[in-house]
Amino acid sequence: MKWLAQFRKKSPWILHYNAGSCNGCDIEILAALSPRFDLERFGIVNTGNPKQTDIFLVTGPVTFHSRERLVELYSQIPEPKVVVAVGACTSTGGVFRGMYNVEDGIDRYIPVDVYVPGCAASPQLIIDGIVQALSILEKKNKAIEKPFRLFGGIKRIGKKISRLTMAKRIGEEK
Amino acid sequence: MTTWFWIVMAPVLGGLVYGGERVLRARMQRRQGPPLLQPFYDMFKLMDKRTLVIHSAHALLGVVHFLVLWITVGAIFFGWNLLYIVFLHLFALIVLVIAGYSVRSVFSQIGANRELLALVAYEPVLLLVTVGFYLYAGSFYIGDILHHSGYLSQMPLLFLALLVILPIKVKKSPFDVVEGHQEIVGGVEVEYSGFFFEFLYMARFLEYIFIYSFVFLFGGADYWLGALLVIGTFILVNLVDNATARVRAADMVKISYLLALLLAGINIVWMLT
Amino acid sequence: MPGAMLLILLPIVATLLLRWFRSEKMQYILLATTVVLLSATALKLYFGSAVLTFHFPHWLELFIVIADLLLLLYFLWQGRRFDRRIITLLAVIQLLLYGWAESVLPEEGGAEVVVDALSTFMFLIINIVGGIIVVYAVRYMSYEEISEEKKRLFIAYLLLFLSVMNAVVVSNSLLLFFFLFEMTTLASYLLIGFRGDETAQKNALKALWMNQIGGVVILLGTLCAIYGYDTTRFDALTGSVGGTLLLCVSLVSMAALVKGASIPFDGWLLGAMVAPTPVSAILHSATMVKIAPWLILKLSPALGGTGVGLLLSTFGGFVFVAASYLALSRTVFKEILGYSTIALLGLMMALAAIGTPETSILTMVLIFFHALSKAMLFMTAGVVEKLHHLKDIEDMKGLIETAPKSARFILFGFVSLTLPPFGLFIVKLFAIEEVSHMLPDHPGLFLLLLSILIGSTLLVLLYFKVTAAILSRPSDIVGLGHEAMPSGFLLPLAILAVLVVFTTIRLAAVQQVADLTLFFVPIAMLVLAPLAYRWMDRFDRVKCYHCGEKESFDAALYYYEPTPKIRVAIYTFFTLLFVSVALTGALS
Ligand code: SF4
Repeated sequence: MKWLAQFRKKSPWILHYNAGSCNGCDIEILAALSPRFDLERFGIVNTGNPKQTDIFLVTGPVTFHSRERLVELYSQIPEPKVVVAVGACTSTGGVFRGMYNVEDGIDRYIPVDVYVPGCAASPQLIIDGIVQALSILEKKNKAIEKPFRLFGGIKRIGKKISRLTMAKRIGEEK
Repeated sequence: MTTWFWIVMAPVLGGLVYGGERVLRARMQRRQGPPLLQPFYDMFKLMDKRTLVIHSAHALLGVVHFLVLWITVGAIFFGWNLLYIVFLHLFALIVLVIAGYSVRSVFSQIGANRELLALVAYEPVLLLVTVGFYLYAGSFYIGDILHHSGYLSQMPLLFLALLVILPIKVKKSPFDVVEGHQEIVGGVEVEYSGFFFEFLYMARFLEYIFIYSFVFLFGGADYWLGALLVIGTFILVNLVDNATARVRAADMVKISYLLALLLAGINIVWMLT
Repeated sequence: MPGAMLLILLPIVATLLLRWFRSEKMQYILLATTVVLLSATALKLYFGSAVLTFHFPHWLELFIVIADLLLLLYFLWQGRRFDRRIITLLAVIQLLLYGWAESVLPEEGGAEVVVDALSTFMFLIINIVGGIIVVYAVRYMSYEEISEEKKRLFIAYLLLFLSVMNAVVVSNSLLLFFFLFEMTTLASYLLIGFRGDETAQKNALKALWMNQIGGVVILLGTLCAIYGYDTTRFDALTGSVGGTLLLCVSLVSMAALVKGASIPFDGWLLGAMVAPTPVSAILHSATMVKIAPWLILKLSPALGGTGVGLLLSTFGGFVFVAASYLALSRTVFKEILGYSTIALLGLMMALAAIGTPETSILTMVLIFFHALSKAMLFMTAGVVEKLHHLKDIEDMKGLIETAPKSARFILFGFVSLTLPPFGLFIVKLFAIEEVSHMLPDHPGLFLLLLSILIGSTLLVLLYFKVTAAILSRPSDIVGLGHEAMPSGFLLPLAILAVLVVFTTIRLAAVQQVADLTLFFVPIAMLVLAPLAYRWMDRFDRVKCYHCGEKESFDAALYYYEPTPKIRVAIYTFFTLLFVSVALTGALS
């Protein structure tokens, strides 16, 4: 299967999730996908569906409201997968850092592979970040990756592996 | 032997058409677009992904859908009865619809429902086109249909009707509600991933071959004319896709009935008198 | 003749014996023997294929006249009793017309009873499918909260009904047919009103007056035949030429439209839903409504190629489309099945009215497969109703998990009604081929062709919309539940399913169209797919995608409700069309 791994680079499909950003970076992502920057020339498609996704593009610092969804989406993405944190607030909390209703960056919850700086990150930077992510993606294997928090565990029921409860609800933790 | 070769190669052929279409659409928007072989890259990548399934029946129905479509396309290459082919295609579609309904996913179910609506919209027109061929060629067999020529002058309105419903079949604007990527995340295919998504992906290639072979038939014995029609239609459909917005599902049925079915009906009545 | 006699008399004997068969086991023994005997006789007659005729002795004729008068007086009394003026009126009209017809009755030699290929074919359906339904009824009624007496009464009704039906399909005299037609009307009146509550009574009365219209037009047709051709025999009438033939035929065939519950008479068949399920099964699928296509087939020698035949075909085609469309807004499972029955009956009548030998055969095959599949579906509806207390498709969500057996029967029923290679599909396919073939010579059939094309896709939409509710499962981590289905339910259903498969294979073999065999490949794939389930264990199970939300969602089912205006338009249109059948008959 080594031979197949080279194609990961050629057809990365994206899921874009807004975890409470100010929409600045989202607009830039859309700009990067638009004809001007033409991300499609790398074979990139914005699928909007975690189950057919390779790259998880997240913007926003994770508001309390979006924590469960972030982890849920993450656990629905089949491995190998990479996470790209787009923008300053996604990486560290940025302008929202220390606020009462947000976490400081998505890496409190899920493992991040590439941090893209900038408040708003420019399309060029985003493209660069995705390209970086691609080389990480190529090296990954198919082992299940776990979120840091809200992880409900992988169960084996009979012979089947169940990811149904992989993401927990807030409050079910501990 | 060559027929079998082409049948085996049908998904590849369809993949090339799909790849070419993505390039064409990119060029229409003045951008570079993905490489021609992009669909195959996608396929290889999907092979090497972890596969998530909802339940076995759902995943396997996707495979059956693909296989039945393949048989349909094979039947076309073998010059089979066109009427049977349309119904075999219907079977493939129903399998997909059952698959879509078999999971408790909102998007999948809406997608399946729209798939049925699309069926209601295009199936009568497709069958009328078939009947048109029969009335002119005196046979439902593709082999016989391809022996005659002059379909375009006898069935111009049927050709127009086919053009109207063609975007429904290839899931292009203005009739791409069935898929509605921004709206229902691909509809029926939403719950497929990895290995099993591949089959749905390839099924789309086969759909291209299925519907464009109808266009090709209008060329009749004149294969060059047929090829020209296919290329012309291909470009036109993509142009329309780039230039129009999506209509709602109910409007799709209305437009199809008020426009395509009317055109087809007028043509058939005209052929009869 | 003894075979046909046996078919008519045996159910009556069984009814009488039922008194002494009190325990359930005994009833099963009695009914099973009866049904096996009936089916065997029907099969023997079917494969024997000799035309038999029978002339009534005088006393029997007299008996029928008296019975007929009593029947009409009973209807009159019911009209008075429930204060329904329309029923009273129709009963009076029928009495007058009947008296008139009897007074001018010509002396003629033709046989009253003719057992021909069509009758033996109908015997098959009535006795095999009807018989299975009667056996099924025993278990079904055991769930009803009524006295043992009433339960036995119900089964007795069903048996008598079989006997009446067996008699209908051999009748060759218009007046005999009128009597038996009224008997089936009586049967449906009694069976629909069986539960005795207010809606049951209302719907029973509705069925009564609608069906009486059929009686009136038959009598008018008879008078027309007597005055025009001096005969009351079907074969003599359809064999004659010229004159007012088309008027007579069109009048009688209007009775078929009524019995077949074509729009605008769909109300009575839907009303039959309040009755216990074996009733709707027997009314809809097996027997009673099949009188409609049978009648048209009987008349088709006179109808074929005429304006009236064309109009009836078009009418049937339109009913096919309109009923499928109206069904899309229904939520009660039995009503959906009811409307789709009406739709398919429309198709049957449309094909029968074309009148060529090919379309007649197609009609018969359609009647046969429809009876099997619909009986199975209705019986499953009954099972779901009794075992799981579900009637509405909205409540049936996830039925595959709670009741896997019933759900599979429903799914199989739908598939056998729509998809290749099953009989109904093959009929539709051949119908399209046949109509396209006739199109250059009969351009008028274009509307029928269009209706078949649109109607069948609408039916596909209808059936598979319903499967949405039945099939949806969130995951297969926990296996399907176990459904304990009593063998009194399971066996009849399984027999029907096996019959569908078996006859389909036989049909395909008979056709000798090599291409048809290819249709078996896809269905084989579907059947074999579960073999791969074990291999599927290697893949991760995951939740459905709901934008990351953690609440569980459910998609609503879709309904396509016609606006009141459209509904009124549809009914007005069909009423006008119904009247115009007679007008066309009179004018041509
Ligand atoms: S990084 Fe800045 S621009 Fe981007 S989402 Fe966060 S706050 Fe908005």
